Amino acid sequence: MNTQSAMNAYVKEIGGWVAAQLEACTRCGLCAAACHFYQVTENPEYAPVWKVEPLRKAYEQRFTVAGKLKLALGLETPVTDEDLKHWSTIVFEACTICNKCAMVCPMGIQLGPLIHDVRAGMAAAGLVPADLHAATAKQVEVGSPLGVTASTWAERMDWIAEEWEVDIPKDQKGVDTLVVFTSIELMKFPDNIAAVAKIMKRAGEKWTISSKGREVVNFGYFEADEALTKMFMARVFDAAKELGVKRIVISECGHAYDAFRWTAANIMDVPIGVEVTHIIRVIYDFWKAGRISLKKGSYDDGTITFHDSCKIQRRGGHIKEPREILKWLAPNAFKEMSPAREQSICCGGGGGVISIKEADPLRFAVFGLKVDQMKAIGAKSVCMVCSNCRLQFTEGVAYHKADVQVRGLTDMVSKVLE
Amino acid sequence: MDWTTILRFFRGPFFVVSLLIFIGGMTYRLVRVLLLGWSRDRVKSRGSKAMGVLKSYAKGVLVLPFIPWVKRTFGNNALTYLAGGLFHLSLLTVVVFGTPHMLVWKSLLGFGWPTLPFPVIDWLSAVGIIALVLLLINRLTHPVLKLITRAPLWLNWILVFLPFVTGYAMTHHLCLRYEVFFSLHMIAVDLLLIWIPFGRISHFLFYFFSRTIHGAQAGKRAVNP
Amino acid sequence: MDEKTVYDHLRESGFSRRDFMKFCGLLSGMMGLEFLPAAKLLGAAAGPSAAELVAGALKSKPRVPVIWLELQDCAGCTEAVSRSQSPSLVNLVLNKITVDYQETLMAAAGFQAEAARREAMARYKGQYVLVVEGSPSVDADGVFCVIGGKSGLDILRETAADAAAVIAVGNCAAFGGLPKAKPNPTGARAVSEIIADKPIINIPGCPAIPEVTTGTIAHFLIMGALPATDGLKRPVTFYGHTIHDHCLRRPFYDAGKFVERFDDKEARAGYCLYKMGCKGPTTYNACPSLKWEKGLSYPVQSGHPCLGCSEPDFWDGGGFYKGQSAPVEQPTIAAAGISAGVGVALGAVLAGANSVKKRKAGKPGASGPDESAK
Repeated sequence: MNTQSAMNAYVKEIGGWVAAQLEACTRCGLCAAACHFYQVTENPEYAPVWKVEPLRKAYEQRFTVAGKLKLALGLETPVTDEDLKHWSTIVFEACTICNKCAMVCPMGIQLGPLIHDVRAGMAAAGLVPADLHAATAKQVEVGSPLGVTASTWAERMDWIAEEWEVDIPKDQKGVDTLVVFTSIELMKFPDNIAAVAKIMKRAGEKWTISSKGREVVNFGYFEADEALTKMFMARVFDAAKELGVKRIVISECGHAYDAFRWTAANIMDVPIGVEVTHIIRVIYDFWKAGRISLKKGSYDDGTITFHDSCKIQRRGGHIKEPREILKWLAPNAFKEMSPAREQSICCGGGGGVISIKEADPLRFAVFGLKVDQMKAIGAKSVCMVCSNCRLQFTEGVAYHKADVQVRGLTDMVSKVLE
Repeated sequence: MDWTTILRFFRGPFFVVSLLIFIGGMTYRLVRVLLLGWSRDRVKSRGSKAMGVLKSYAKGVLVLPFIPWVKRTFGNNALTYLAGGLFHLSLLTVVVFGTPHMLVWKSLLGFGWPTLPFPVIDWLSAVGIIALVLLLINRLTHPVLKLITRAPLWLNWILVFLPFVTGYAMTHHLCLRYEVFFSLHMIAVDLLLIWIPFGRISHFLFYFFSRTIHGAQAGKRAVNP
Repeated sequence: MDEKTVYDHLRESGFSRRDFMKFCGLLSGMMGLEFLPAAKLLGAAAGPSAAELVAGALKSKPRVPVIWLELQDCAGCTEAVSRSQSPSLVNLVLNKITVDYQETLMAAAGFQAEAARREAMARYKGQYVLVVEGSPSVDADGVFCVIGGKSGLDILRETAADAAAVIAVGNCAAFGGLPKAKPNPTGARAVSEIIADKPIINIPGCPAIPEVTTGTIAHFLIMGALPATDGLKRPVTFYGHTIHDHCLRRPFYDAGKFVERFDDKEARAGYCLYKMGCKGPTTYNACPSLKWEKGLSYPVQSGHPCLGCSEPDFWDGGGFYKGQSAPVEQPTIAAAGISAGVGVALGAVLAGANSVKKRKAGKPGASGPDESAK
């Protein structure tokens, strides 16, 4: 526990981008209403503006004359060990970095990334929740936060290939596409991996998975530990370079997409000429190009809705693709939740929250908002393109005893290939 | 000391000092942030950052002040949205399109512009005053605002409120002689000018940073900001 | 003190008793005597109207001498009074009541005039009213205004010493006026800044409205004291309302109908002159009610914005065509530039220090030994 380490981390990461936004805040408090954790608990400490406090204090007290003066005069208190411990709980267990707050802020402040920066200080000070940190450690040692070893991984992939009768090319050099899956899919939703394999085969795509770059999830990113974030991504990038692929496809994981597609180039060297994209985009392109054909209206019974994953839709951009597919598959049954698209409410399991047992009551509480949304439109089933959301939905629906079937869109698509 | 002399002072030398502090202070705040280091964005864009920025400003000016982009948040914060939006509308309209204020700009800039009729400005300023009072009550009672509010924010409110009420009283020749309220108005405005660079009222400058950043990141991802 | 009363003098000049009563009515109306508490009381109890009160005073009181000094002036206030269309009033005030010394109007000149002044001062010691027009000059021992070898400043002090009251007529005497405008090369001052030990009243204006001047002098004559004044020592009767308050174009102001150029159709329609720089809202004077040229017109009525000529420092108020609401001083571009430059410099210095701090934080070992808070 080291306040100095945290403050140092903050000083390091506060540049013009952070400073300008911290200065822009007018203390209007509107961000609180957008935060699902605040909505269900009414705890004012869950207001995003409050979550950013350690960073704001670091900025004002280290970089500004007024801040130093306020500190000297006793009008403000410095950041203490107790503060950091307290805030660690708030930013890791009561925040999924969904960035909905940024959509509501009249100034447009990017609170999500700022809270991510707060986490960085916690990581530097060794104040990451134990469960989360344990998972990170596992990913460092064996390459997977769930502790899936290389051999288990290989065995499991073989089993999936056998069980679902699909080809899953491994470590194939010279192919165009490298697909990287999550441990969650591997262990909890193997049908998704089989679905991808099936679609790839039908589309005639030359693809492969990689034993060296086998894990797309990035627990270093949850901790906001830049060194670990880079390390985990480097495993995949190195594999991509070795295999000589033209693109890396992120499968069914939100924050991984955020890290690989929208962050990597700014924090590390990325392989030149290698595109990073999401599996739902790939499937959409296949469908549009006529490489796969889907049976129209094949899911047109019982209202079905789509859950927008924070890091794939709001922060990823793939809002149109899943909807077009779903409208084809369920032209009458598809109904949108309200709000949806870039305003969608987070499932509550992202940002590493699902891995922290202590946070279970909170994440099930916020999931109640999703249940309400689905009830409001009479949804019988819901689909999504993020396996972490799928896990949260599966557990949440059971917890709330909601009469809704949880599906993966990729899985749905694979079942109705013509 | 009579009020004509007081007025002369706060419209004259003290105004000059206040405006100079305002200019120097805001420049300082801007440069302090500009020179703190910015890195180039090496991530490939999916959509147009420029479009995102345009949409971001359109949303910020036309939508957010009155109707939140996000459903549900309005219901929980109707007061902040409506009072906040109306206050800003009132402020900007009265300060730019009120005839006496336009003449101030004309003397500072060298050119003027057409102004709005007196009843419009009058009603808007009354709306602004009411909005400010409601916002004060909001800040005193809302749990989140109580948590995050410190002394400087109360000063913000007072120094913005005083020009409104003194200006209104002045225009309506209420209670005291014209030059008394005119003097109070000028004192309030001068103090406001001096205070702005030292507090969060300066958000009108940093607004352009955060709104642009927000628009750019959304445009980059090809989503609506 | 002269034995003959004002009434005696007037009868001798050919005024009939009826003329005299008409004149008293005019005088009392102008001075607002109906509204003075004493007059009201008297009116209720004893029955005489204000006019009768004036008549009574003029009949019974002997004439009061006035010495009229001109310092740094243009004689405009004298001209205004003597050009006034109320000859009976002027006659009364200048020829029948005042007279002992008035540079512009008196027949004597040079040493004879100065001798007349000193003789009047001696004869009516402690009783005469000193009217001052034009501002005294204090710089360089008053050398910028010298009359008969003596500085205006000394003459003022010497003449005021034995006066009963001082009336500062015109903006120059009241507040310093044109000579005091930047850069004030002669060290012009208000009379009230020089004379502090006598009852003093200001009748500002450029020029002062003649009826206001004579009305105030008449008040002293009739009541034996100067009328009630405001914070700037101006008689409240005449300076109690702003031009804006009684302006004939006020409805246009309220409706937002303004003149934009002196030759536009709005100007021809007589719209409000606020945007043309009218200082009406902050100018206290009797122009809209008394007007000029015996109630003929006043600047706004004739189509020119009010200059604010009865207010202190109106020459330095920023300009006659600058909006009334505009600040009277503003920073020069140079000053603003310097201020911005200082801001840039300080901001750059701090940003530099912060960048150094950031670089140090990035170095390995930057997170030193535990530094828990106090």
